Amino acid sequence: MDWVAVGLCEDVPARTVVPRRVQNTDLAIWCSTAGVFHAWGDRCPHRGMRLSHGFVRGETLSCIYHGWTYDGDGACVSIPAHPDLTPPKSICAAQYACRVQDGTIWVALQPTQAAVPELGARRAIRSLAVQLSAETLATRLKQPFGPVITLGGAHDIALAVQPSTDTDCLLHAFAAPDQDRKAVSLALEHLRDELEAAA
Amino acid sequence: MSRSINDYWYPVGLLSGIDAPHATLLLGADITVGRTHSAYWVTDAAGKALPTIKRFGHLWTCPGTPMDDLFTIPEADTAGRQLVDVGSVRVKCSPLRAVENFLDIAHFPFVHTDILGAEPHTEVARYNVDIREDANEVWATKVKFFQPQAAKSAEGGITTEYMYRVASPTCAVLYKTCPPRPGEWDVITLFVQPLNEEWCEVWPWMALYDDDSTMAEMVSFQQLIFMQDRSILENQIPTKLPLDPGMEVPTQADLTSIAYRRWLKKIGYTYGAQLVAA
Amino acid sequence: MILYDYVLSASCYKVRLMAALLGQSLTLHTVNFHPAREHKSADMLALNPKGTLPVLLDGETVLTDSADILRYLTRDAPEWRGDDDPWLALAADLNESLGMARLHDILQYDVDIDAARAAGVKQLRKLEAHMTAQRFDGHLFLTGAVPALADIACFPNVSLAPDGGVSLDTYPSLRLWMRAIRSLPGFIEMPGIHRLHELEFPE
Ligand SMILES: N[C@@H](CCC(=O)N[C@@H](CS)C(=O)NCC(=O)O)C(=O)O
Ligand code: FES
Ligand SMILES: [Fe+2]
Repeated sequence: MDWVAVGLCEDVPARTVVPRRVQNTDLAIWCSTAGVFHAWGDRCPHRGMRLSHGFVRGETLSCIYHGWTYDGDGACVSIPAHPDLTPPKSICAAQYACRVQDGTIWVALQPTQAAVPELGARRAIRSLAVQLSAETLATRLKQPFGPVITLGGAHDIALAVQPSTDTDCLLHAFAAPDQDRKAVSLALEHLRDELEAAA
Repeated sequence: MSRSINDYWYPVGLLSGIDAPHATLLLGADITVGRTHSAYWVTDAAGKALPTIKRFGHLWTCPGTPMDDLFTIPEADTAGRQLVDVGSVRVKCSPLRAVENFLDIAHFPFVHTDILGAEPHTEVARYNVDIREDANEVWATKVKFFQPQAAKSAEGGITTEYMYRVASPTCAVLYKTCPPRPGEWDVITLFVQPLNEEWCEVWPWMALYDDDSTMAEMVSFQQLIFMQDRSILENQIPTKLPLDPGMEVPTQADLTSIAYRRWLKKIGYTYGAQLVAA
Repeated sequence: MILYDYVLSASCYKVRLMAALLGQSLTLHTVNFHPAREHKSADMLALNPKGTLPVLLDGETVLTDSADILRYLTRDAPEWRGDDDPWLALAADLNESLGMARLHDILQYDVDIDAARAAGVKQLRKLEAHMTAQRFDGHLFLTGAVPALADIACFPNVSLAPDGGVSLDTYPSLRLWMRAIRSLPGFIEMPGIHRLHELEFPE
């Protein structure tokens, strides 16, 4: 997979960080005060704490354990235990390519030349977790396996599929702009129930 | 020098809490802990009795051949202290990660905010660390940290001095200056029962000079602090403690952790440790 | 008002949090729930024959259920009240699922852990769907644009779900809801629910 959707921008407002998983890789997705999105490995280089438990101040993300602070390039800029020290440049959080398109945050685990998938003239509805692998999900939907599955139907739903683990994925759902978001959300709940039950 | 992990003493229960036989785990093996009248016992999966010691309010056992006596804490025996049975909390983490966290002060402002530390007082001044060959223990001394509310009696912030002692691979003791009794040290311990390499039962215990707080308040305070740590401990990657340099980045504030890891490697205690950078 | 309290109890925290948000002061009487099981002592059973915490004492009034205590604390605060009963019932269900899973994982309570977690996940999914719909209407809280008793009743056991092995990673609307509660003036933390450190330096 090249680009994988990991969330809707409105679910990660400025000054928040959320954990996401893509093919068993743990990520911390965060949005700076100025609204810049970042996708990092969910692991602080200091002592391995998940950065997704941390906090955003200005354009930096800080680790909750000892407060080590990383700038937008992933470089450590502050070690609170040593306020007068300039951290060596080598201390760096792992970074992944991150793009915003169609109100959605996309991440590529490997460098890629590919374009971010198109969602057509749809608007974001919501994200929801499904306890199925991405492959099983596609099979049950009778659709080809891929980063975006187009269901169409009355709501003209498209699903950007985030394969989290071997047993779970997170769906990011989109629908025609004239559709009522509550109605689509409810339809998605039913769809999930059916898919998970169809053993 | 190197001995098997089975040859150390481990805590398996509070003397005040052991009653009906209780099945638990030690180093991944099933054991049963119980009491018959006033006799405490521990058996392995085959029903064989294991050696026991009663000390610091806890029952200790050794699934192998104990090479020496369980360590002592002479300070805890001085009169006038409250001996506090804190009870146990289970944590999904390596027993070694639990001990290392206990040896760390740099997290106080962020994890125990406004209790044991607070921004902007985050600096960790240089302190002394040594591996004491005679006792086979790790010690950190002259550890000083600014605390907003170190004790109930403390008005405003004060700088508290600590000493840390790793008395066995899964047991650590801290000595903390005690505002009501200058010159004396409060004793706070963390005894860890390794259930397996990635799961432990933690038994904090304290011997404090405190004439103001009720027993329930002292227990509550320690459970509050340790449960703040639990959400950290369950979210470190990898779950096991990396002993080889390269995977994590220590600084001068982490000298105790560096010495602890070095010592574990030296004595060959690698249960709960990750040896090769993944 | 005296609250018989245990620092790690989600139900006691509901009461402490509600009082803090209302600016009411509580005198805490700390009970050694674990390991000494003081909530089952003769003194505590005389106060509350059910042997549970929290217990609130206000003059002649003795209340032994967190739902009743929340109603009592908000009796003169209509802005916090609404159609509370269904939410208080949900809060009690969350205590039986996520709350028991947590007591199992931390204190080894004898619980059918798989069933407790599965029930918790079902409830979280329902709540997530509800909060998603609320957000479509521009609302940050369970029953509207402002926080209510319903929010405070449900917040503790939801937030503490990871303590019982139930992840909150994939509930974006619940995460924003929890954040909104943690941002409230007067918010107090408990172990497992820390403050928003980003708020120390407002921008
Ligand atoms: N219905 C009660 C439930 C509270 C509850 O579960 N309390 C726990 C402590 S977290 C308790 O006292 N458990 C003791 C027991 O059930 O014996 C309320 O919400 O007030
Ligand atoms: S683990 Fe992140 S700052 Fe220490
Ligand atoms: Fe701590």
